[in-house]
Amino acid sequence: MRYHLRNHPMVLVGLLVVFGWIVVALLARGLASHDPLAKDVSHRLDKPGENGHNWGADALGRDIQTRVLHGARITIPAGIAVIIFGSIIGVLMGALAGWLGGLWDELLMRITELFMAFPTIILAMAITAALGRDIRNAIIALVIVWWPSYARLIRGIVLEIKHNEYVDAARCAGATGPWILFRTILPNSIAPAIVLMTLDIGNAILTFAGLSFLGLGPPPTSSEWGSMVNAGLDNFSQWWMWLFPGMALASLVMAFNFIGDGIRDIFDPRLRRD
Amino acid sequence: MPLQVFFLRRLLLTIPLLIGITLVSFIIANAVPSDPVSANIPQNAFDNEEIIAAFRAKWGLDKPPHEQYLTYLGNLLRGDLGVSIKTSKPVLEDIRQFLPATIELASFGILIGMALGIGTGIIAAVWRNSLADYLTRSNVVIGVSFPIFVLALIGLNLLHVQWGIVAGPGRLDFIMRDPPNVTGLFMVDAALAGQWDKFSNAFSHLILPAFVLGSYVAGIIARITRSSMLEVLGMDYIRTARSHGLHERRVIIHHALSNAMIPIVTVIGLSTANLMTGAVLIESIFAWPGIGRDAFRAATSQDFPAIMGVSILIASIYVLVNFIVDILYYFLDPRIRVA
Repeated sequence: MRYHLRNHPMVLVGLLVVFGWIVVALLARGLASHDPLAKDVSHRLDKPGENGHNWGADALGRDIQTRVLHGARITIPAGIAVIIFGSIIGVLMGALAGWLGGLWDELLMRITELFMAFPTIILAMAITAALGRDIRNAIIALVIVWWPSYARLIRGIVLEIKHNEYVDAARCAGATGPWILFRTILPNSIAPAIVLMTLDIGNAILTFAGLSFLGLGPPPTSSEWGSMVNAGLDNFSQWWMWLFPGMALASLVMAFNFIGDGIRDIFDPRLRRD
Repeated sequence: MPLQVFFLRRLLLTIPLLIGITLVSFIIANAVPSDPVSANIPQNAFDNEEIIAAFRAKWGLDKPPHEQYLTYLGNLLRGDLGVSIKTSKPVLEDIRQFLPATIELASFGILIGMALGIGTGIIAAVWRNSLADYLTRSNVVIGVSFPIFVLALIGLNLLHVQWGIVAGPGRLDFIMRDPPNVTGLFMVDAALAGQWDKFSNAFSHLILPAFVLGSYVAGIIARITRSSMLEVLGMDYIRTARSHGLHERRVIIHHALSNAMIPIVTVIGLSTANLMTGAVLIESIFAWPGIGRDAFRAATSQDFPAIMGVSILIASIYVLVNFIVDILYYFLDPRIRVA
């Protein structure tokens, strides 16, 4: 492990930044100097550093730094939820398609392709618009958009390994279909899905924030980073309103992408960038 | 395989995909708990059952879903996408009005993305492990990680508000009238009409959103160009070309790049999806009257005919671009022709 980290220093940087943001998310109440929802119109649009607002205040006088710190409590769990639920559905669909084969495989894979034909945000926008705008629905929309890449990946791997000798051995030992699938095949095909998850999480967070930025995620009062950037649009010259939440988002996504890139290199030498 | 057979085979494969796309859009627009009636009827008419019934009858919302779908599909084949609930205009007319703006933005965006991505990718591969390579690699991660809407705001703040180098939101200055409509692409139309002041004004409005959009895909293209070029540069035939005394530029462009193009072209095709995602965000920031902004408007007002029309259009563009990419393989890779 130490060897890998020495060869991929950016993974370490990414891990530190992500760890930092998780700590911030957990301790936001203690770390923040204000209440994220407390309005103080006498200090509206305070510049950074004015009246105890280190990163300035928004149009309702709410402390930007406090809101950014609290925003981590929404964005990080949302991104992780999308990846976890999306990968569970995708892995199950892919495993079933690969294992059952034939008509089932064709059917499941055509459905997968259909979902992949839509650009992520268009499909997510349509789903969120239909379900109604809130955090839970934004996550559901993204899960619906997210599972196909996992299904395709796992199906390919299951097809490859279901003819391996150890699968035949399990069958000869009297194992039933589901047992072989869940206890023999899936554990051996899960590693690439985990690599994809780490590569994907930054993207999931970005798309979630993009949906919120468009007003299709959490309510506008929320301190989610995307909706904070959106709120800054009305006060465009007050750059602190949109820059700080934007940079928080960028730092988190970048950190996840550094980790994802490094893990891909470590786990799969064939995909190494060099 | 002759080109015609290859072309026909790929074309046939896209038909079920296109039908499926209409089905998915239809299911999303209909099989969800929200009610378009409540989204489009004023609140004081909620209790008036006559108004609600009239609204349902007018938009066919009172028929069973499969009938609605078959009617929709039949109309679609005749080029009728229905009427937008919000704008009261045919969806196709709205699309025709908004599409050129997006085509102008997206084609400039992809050109900038290709120039930046392929250019830096080649430099990073040729001078591997140099400072340029490290810069490219870190820029790639930054490029794919940086929220496009934040980059757009930073660009707008610095280049437009602070330094005044580029024009602000919109396709033209407020005081300017649109050039005579021929293609709907303002720069082309202005050039055709010889209105060069409008041409430069349209360019000044286009360059920043196109650059932001381009930078979004440049990272992905640079990454694949670098790895594909590195692989090809290690091949024996490159060493042979060099030992023949060919100029290094010729070796890289003619012998290496042309053989490294397949994955690059694939990624450019796949980037259209990212480009459309970016277009939704960029168009809403730059008040760009395109399809992305129309999709957003449709989604936020639960204008289902428009949502379906726009998502079918965008998904079809994506399928079409990838169809073109497949056809390009035929020309780029002689192995496909022989197979």
